[in-house]
Amino acid sequence: MKEKSSSLLLFLVYAGGFLLLLEWLWPLDILTDTQSVSIFYLYAAFCFFLTFMQVPWYFAVPLKLLGLLFILDGLFIGERIFSEAWWLIVYNQLSYNLQAVTAQEWWELTAFFRSFLFLVLLWLVSYLLHFWLVIARKAFFFIVLTFVYITIIDTFTPYEGQASIIRTFIIAMVVLGLLHVQREFGGEDVGRRSRNPLFSAIPLITVILIAAVGATILPKFAPQWPDPVPYLQSATGGIGPGGNGNVVQKVGYGENDSRLGGSFVQDDTLVFQAVVRDRQYWRIESKDRYTGKGWEDTLEQPVTSVGPDELEYSTFEDDVEAEPSRGFLDFTDQANFRKLVYPYGVTSLGNLERPIDIALHTQTGEMETRAGNDSVQPERYSLNYDAPSFELNTLRDVTGGDPASIQEKYLQLPSSVTQRTRELAAEITAEHDNRYDKAKAVESYFSSNGFEYTTTDVAVPEEDEDYVDQFVFETQQGYCDNYSTSMIVMLRAEGIPARWVKGFTGGELTDTDTELFDTTMNSYDVTSANAHSWVEVYFPDVGWVPFEPTQGFTNNADFYTEVDTDPSESGQDETESPEVDTPEQEEQGNPQQIGEEEEETAGTASGGNDGISGTTILLSALGVLSVIGIALYLTRLRWLSWYYGRRFRRQGDADAFQSSYRHLLNVLDKRIAKRRSDETLRAYAKAIDHRFEGNDMQRLTNQYERLVYRKEDRLQRNDISELWENLIKKALS
Amino acid sequence: MSQSSFMLHSKISDVIRNINQVMVGKEEAAILSLVTLLARGHVLLEDVPGVGKTMLVRTLAKSLNCEFKRIQFTPDLLPSDVTGVSIYNPKTTDFEFRPGPILGNIVLADEINRTSPKTQSSLLEGMEESSITVDGQSVALKKPFFVMATQNPIEYEGTYPLPEAQLDRFLLKLKMGYPTYQEEMEMLERTSGGHPIHSVEPVMTLEELVQLQEEVDDVYIDQTVQQYIVSLTSATRDHESVYLGVSPRGSMALMKAAKAYAFIYDRDYVVPDDVQYVAKFVLPHRLILTSEANFEGIAPEDIVHQLIEATNVPVKRNVSE
Repeated sequence: MKEKSSSLLLFLVYAGGFLLLLEWLWPLDILTDTQSVSIFYLYAAFCFFLTFMQVPWYFAVPLKLLGLLFILDGLFIGERIFSEAWWLIVYNQLSYNLQAVTAQEWWELTAFFRSFLFLVLLWLVSYLLHFWLVIARKAFFFIVLTFVYITIIDTFTPYEGQASIIRTFIIAMVVLGLLHVQREFGGEDVGRRSRNPLFSAIPLITVILIAAVGATILPKFAPQWPDPVPYLQSATGGIGPGGNGNVVQKVGYGENDSRLGGSFVQDDTLVFQAVVRDRQYWRIESKDRYTGKGWEDTLEQPVTSVGPDELEYSTFEDDVEAEPSRGFLDFTDQANFRKLVYPYGVTSLGNLERPIDIALHTQTGEMETRAGNDSVQPERYSLNYDAPSFELNTLRDVTGGDPASIQEKYLQLPSSVTQRTRELAAEITAEHDNRYDKAKAVESYFSSNGFEYTTTDVAVPEEDEDYVDQFVFETQQGYCDNYSTSMIVMLRAEGIPARWVKGFTGGELTDTDTELFDTTMNSYDVTSANAHSWVEVYFPDVGWVPFEPTQGFTNNADFYTEVDTDPSESGQDETESPEVDTPEQEEQGNPQQIGEEEEETAGTASGGNDGISGTTILLSALGVLSVIGIALYLTRLRWLSWYYGRRFRRQGDADAFQSSYRHLLNVLDKRIAKRRSDETLRAYAKAIDHRFEGNDMQRLTNQYERLVYRKEDRLQRNDISELWENLIKKALS
Repeated sequence: MSQSSFMLHSKISDVIRNINQVMVGKEEAAILSLVTLLARGHVLLEDVPGVGKTMLVRTLAKSLNCEFKRIQFTPDLLPSDVTGVSIYNPKTTDFEFRPGPILGNIVLADEINRTSPKTQSSLLEGMEESSITVDGQSVALKKPFFVMATQNPIEYEGTYPLPEAQLDRFLLKLKMGYPTYQEEMEMLERTSGGHPIHSVEPVMTLEELVQLQEEVDDVYIDQTVQQYIVSLTSATRDHESVYLGVSPRGSMALMKAAKAYAFIYDRDYVVPDDVQYVAKFVLPHRLILTSEANFEGIAPEDIVHQLIEATNVPVKRNVSE
């Protein structure tokens, strides 16, 4: 019975340990692109169970290994398990990854190998926690680590640690309480135990609940120091547009759009300054293939090499009205996307600090900047562009069919697009007979009908859910990606070719009289928060015309109606003809709006250069913290001695003496001789004095006994501090 | 002696000095007898004849200036031989009470297991109640009243072993054991020129002894130590080799003995060391072992030893003050 109740306690403690480990694993699901996370939970549970049951190692190790192989098989290997081909795959994977490891090419490691390592890690952790909690019966260190981990994850990533902190607190308190009960009553107190569990559990649970609820409800101070994230980023110079790869939805320009959705955090880091006459949308690239979850490029892309003088790329036909303009861009070192950022109608670059080649993806408009074989990020360049203005009647009147190449690429829709999306698209566009009005109808549909612009609390579609369907019918909350993607899907459903464009909005106006190229221009600051996505719709004989479905944003493209001989000044928002209905006439430079302006999220781990810096910060912060933690732990006897000595000298009362004495016991226990639990202080003191050849410990113990067993409140001797210091010194030397 | 390095109470140390004059190597037994006396308990000595039981108790009585009585228990002894009897006095035409040997301060009940249970219980009743009933009359016993009963463990023929419930009445059970070679040599040396007991002088009066008993009552025992006592005794009830564990009376006995022991070492508070030491003498005779344990030759002393080892000593102040 004794055995049973104490092993039940230990089981609960160990189960608590498992729950704490789960708190480490939850963020994986949200912050990384790890698939099938639940498999890992299951495997961890499996390892914990085997370890706790004390299955002999010659059963446990093969069992765990088998479980590991089954998981890898299920996740990665298509072959029949343990067949020849199967082993070949495993062998190839292992040898490839081992090579990568020896070459220190960490980014080359495959998902197979990473999962393998992760499973092994879980295995080890199950053993480690068993040792900590069940054998050593110490949980404090692990709990502290868990808290540190959650706070760091919460601070540096969009993971919301609040619920996690509360859960961890409750679990940790229960574990500590149970361990305490275990230690206090050990095995000997069974007579009382039989009715004890309830009695001791009630106060424990009450206290924990009161503490947890109180701590949650009570008002708290705002953070006492500014958010460290931007500071760290600027210190390491890693994250900016393109640096959003911190695996998380962090606002900014990113590469990977294959999984859209999720909330993100704002980041007002300056990316570049633009000096232009009018506010421009800054284009970077477009994407054509919608997957139901996000956007991807069609794999085979024609790439041509062009020079900066002659970019040979245009999204619209030559006969569109265009006004030659000039501009200048100056990038900060936060800019790291190694692609040109350009306005509509760009023709050539100038004022480059060094000669570059440009690899132009003729379909997407992506222009990679290269010097030799390396991608480079130009620091500044001037631009010549022909700012287009689209004539509305022309757009309304286009009748010609779309070329086959356009139809093939830009009408694609995955099977995940739901019937109700298609029906809605038909309904919205039903009363219009031309492409432009249909597009406008869809564009303006989102400005009402209950949609809400928000950057927080944005859902990620489930495995069997369509991104657009979820946004349009379920959540109706989102940011530019949601709006632009939804518009494209609806247009495509109606047979109108459209594509998804990424870039930046115009930014914030900072100066209205910047001298450039002998004229006065406006200067704009474009930050990571200005990253944006919008829509281009194809009009035969006109080309691609930008649309802006996102609530609260104004289409920057210029439209006019040729009523008489007054061709409107091109490139001016203000000259838009009345019937161009811009969803909301909100001024783009409105700072409040800039604040909640768009971004581009990389909802998932983005590969390559842009993931590293964020993770590095996190890892190095974790590393430094754990090193500090370990150092503090290893030297704890010394600094605790210093602390207790100081405290006792200051206070000099019985309370301080008791804690100092207990610390002395702890030090002696660890350094000199272990005190058996049945050994009285007197007997122990005698043994210690025998060892030290003195009687300091007995004198000190006598004093302590009077406090504990006689309930005295005052110290009888005045040489206690001296005796204590002597003993501590001897014990630590 | 685990604590001989600590100072004895001054009065007690005088008594011990007297005993050491007469006996060799019997300091531990002497101290434990004093513990019992001061705790108002009684002691059961289990040993072979001739190791100095009587001598110890006589020296004790003489040092303490107590009235010493001895009862040699035999199978034909009657309860009235212990308690005394009322005799008709023709002069006064009334019954007159002739007190028996139980009405002394220190009573040596030799070979208590040789007499019938009826006679045994007449003594045991007195030990428990501090009074006896003779012919319907209650007679108070003297104060202090201290019984040292002896039992011969060798002879079982024609004995009436004390029932377990009766054993509970004894605060301690002691074994004297044989002296070592040197001790025995010294004993011969000392007794060759006349027995030294005749030269023993009293060191305190009866009133002083009663006073000391009262002081023992005032010895402080903290809740932490009380908890320790209870964890020890309650652990005996769950031990696998124990059929019947220590009763709550055993816990009280342990506390009383620990207090007296602390007092003897001139302390006015009890430390766990006191409990650990006296537990070895207070607890064993209160345990009834299972027949398996008896068969395996496990002694109650071993079990008490195990339990002390398995019970955590409290080293922190009780927070629930």
